[in-house]
Amino acid sequence: MHQHKIAIFGYGNHGKFIAKGLKADGFEITIIESTKEHFKEAKSDHFEDVRLLDVTKDENLERIDVESYEQFVCVMDDEHLNVFLTLSLRSLFSDIYILAISDSLNVTKKLQMAGANKVIDLYEVSANKIYNILEKPIATKLLERFVGSKEGISFREMLIPKNSFLDGMMADDMDFSAEGVLLVGLIDEERGHHFEFITAGLEHKLDSGDTIVCIGYKEDLDSFETLITQKEQR
Amino acid sequence: MKRHLLSLAFLLHHSKRYQQAKQFARTLLFDTNNPYKRYFDLMIIFLVITSVFILIYEVKNPVPPWLDHYDIYFVSFIFALEYLLRLWVYNDISEMIISEYNNAHFLSREFHLYGVLKEALLSKLKYMLTPSAIVDLLAILPAYRPLRVLRVFILFRVFKLLRYTKSINQFVDVLINKKFELLTLLFLLIFIVMTSGIAIYILEADENESIGTLFDGIYWAIVTISTVGYGDISPVTEIGRAISILIIISGIAMISFVTSVIVSAFSERLGELKENRIIEQMNKSDAFLIICGYGQLTKMFFRQNRKQIENYVLLDSDPQRVEMAKKDGYTAICEDASSFSVLNQFDFNHAKITLLALTSSDVENIYITLNAKSVSSKIRVIARVNDPATLKKFHYAGADELLMPNMVANTMIYTAITQPTMYKAIHAVLTGKSIANIDEIHVLESTVLVGKSIASLDFKAHKILFIGIQRGEKFLFNPKGEVTIQAHDVLLVMGRKISLEYFKMKHEKGGYAST
Repeated sequence: MHQHKIAIFGYGNHGKFIAKGLKADGFEITIIESTKEHFKEAKSDHFEDVRLLDVTKDENLERIDVESYEQFVCVMDDEHLNVFLTLSLRSLFSDIYILAISDSLNVTKKLQMAGANKVIDLYEVSANKIYNILEKPIATKLLERFVGSKEGISFREMLIPKNSFLDGMMADDMDFSAEGVLLVGLIDEERGHHFEFITAGLEHKLDSGDTIVCIGYKEDLDSFETLITQKEQR
Repeated sequence: MKRHLLSLAFLLHHSKRYQQAKQFARTLLFDTNNPYKRYFDLMIIFLVITSVFILIYEVKNPVPPWLDHYDIYFVSFIFALEYLLRLWVYNDISEMIISEYNNAHFLSREFHLYGVLKEALLSKLKYMLTPSAIVDLLAILPAYRPLRVLRVFILFRVFKLLRYTKSINQFVDVLINKKFELLTLLFLLIFIVMTSGIAIYILEADENESIGTLFDGIYWAIVTISTVGYGDISPVTEIGRAISILIIISGIAMISFVTSVIVSAFSERLGELKENRIIEQMNKSDAFLIICGYGQLTKMFFRQNRKQIENYVLLDSDPQRVEMAKKDGYTAICEDASSFSVLNQFDFNHAKITLLALTSSDVENIYITLNAKSVSSKIRVIARVNDPATLKKFHYAGADELLMPNMVANTMIYTAITQPTMYKAIHAVLTGKSIANIDEIHVLESTVLVGKSIASLDFKAHKILFIGIQRGEKFLFNPKGEVTIQAHDVLLVMGRKISLEYFKMKHEKGGYAST
């Protein structure tokens, strides 16, 4: 379903989890490792495209076919190496999308300076989770279940196809609760590439090409996804 | 006689009313949970203040007889009653007699009333000799009119107030710690005062008009050694002045010595006193956080800056980290959260305590979790788990919520890759920074929400997205309009903060509450 591949640097603590999850979701991934142990581990976990590279050498990185990758994920265990890698990638290729993990406050800043497009701070997300557990325990638990699970209730992004009956509808008028699907928010391309929540109370007109985010049971979402391709609402 | 006393003991021991009365008296005097204790304390304080006021007033003014009677009979009567109550609840004689009787019966030896009675009375006597009991007794004495001197004992009533301040106990505690040094100095002081007092008496009694008795000599020695030096008595002979010089020099040395002993005792205990104060302060609030470990995660937690965390206390066993936390402006105590006595200081019966075990070591976190749960199962524990392999152990230890930083980050990265739009949404929701909040509404019994159908609430008009109901263990997603809300349901809703708050406020009447 995704044509572009994803390159994961590092098959350590984080890399392992992410790579396995992506593989299960049908993504095509490339794992790049610099240590032999992790390289072997990745091999034995049946990943097809695993490479052993010394990522500190620019000539090695240059050989990567950048065009075919959609994202570069830097999750090396060694944070110094991770920053260095991010910096090397950015200096070599100016318009790639780099996602990096940081496990301390100082590193987050360095990664951002090094040119990562998105930095996920291990402690920041954890600290936020503590807040959420403290403030709204049940909502947090449920939300986590929605995000984490592929079965049952989950979130899904859907692109509004051309000729869909949704094209031209006002977002506030839509109610698909009868179909078992709740509209959470959308990206209106007319207003720039920003995610807006449905409850923000803004008047949105949907166009084809906009993305909507829905929540619902998997089966309902599946049938809804085919439903919106139709010209008329049943 | 023996049999009579024994049967009386049994009677009292098994009398429900007697035990209830004793229990009530005990809680009235000692337990802050007793609602009447407050009033009782206030009354005692009022009586003390009025009686001292009367004492001062009557020095220069005639006192009306009713006020005098109030002072003698009423105040003293109440104080006497209080004294007897305290003496009564101090121990339980009937129980001691019965237990001794049972023991004797068990060992089939003869039951001796005398021994146990003596023991019980001795323990009462022991109570009577404690400082606070003596103060209480002295506070009653002024009621005895024939001895005017006893009027001065009214001042002892002021000492009764000390029962209501903790600082004096701490002060005494500190001094007791330095008992050895202080006693040594005291003996030295007595020695110097006595010898120089006697010396000045022998040397100058004949020549100096103002020194008539040995008491005058000792009085002079004390006035001089304390560097007060009234000057009403002064040595007239050369040898007397030489003694003065010696006594003054030793006096200065001794006073500075005593001062430094007390000051150093205090500075040694200062940290501890401050920490006790923090814990006391915490226990006054009805819900607070105990955060264990000041590491990266805790720092980040504080830096989130989303809502001011007010009631919290930081525990860390490493003094350096505690120093750092204090420098960063947080309330921190250098204590080991894995020690039973440390957590036991917190008032878990009244306050809702949430403990965050956030140290970087799993072993430590498990230990803290177990410790908290052994102190009281009421303490809610949120523990940090670093190694997924230890997850099971945390469950066994009884942690209520588990937090795996690696897992959380992994999930976030994973979402960021697979569903970039969703990531923004979820991140916004989770960090609470955005215009959208996912919130929960707890439906309590007898609120306006109970019994209403989903359709009648019209979430849409409130600009709220209603997602579902958590009912017991089950989550009802997107329930139909005719479903009615029951008590103890939790509604999962999403919307802007102000919409949610407005909705909550609107349905607040009737006892709605949310976390």
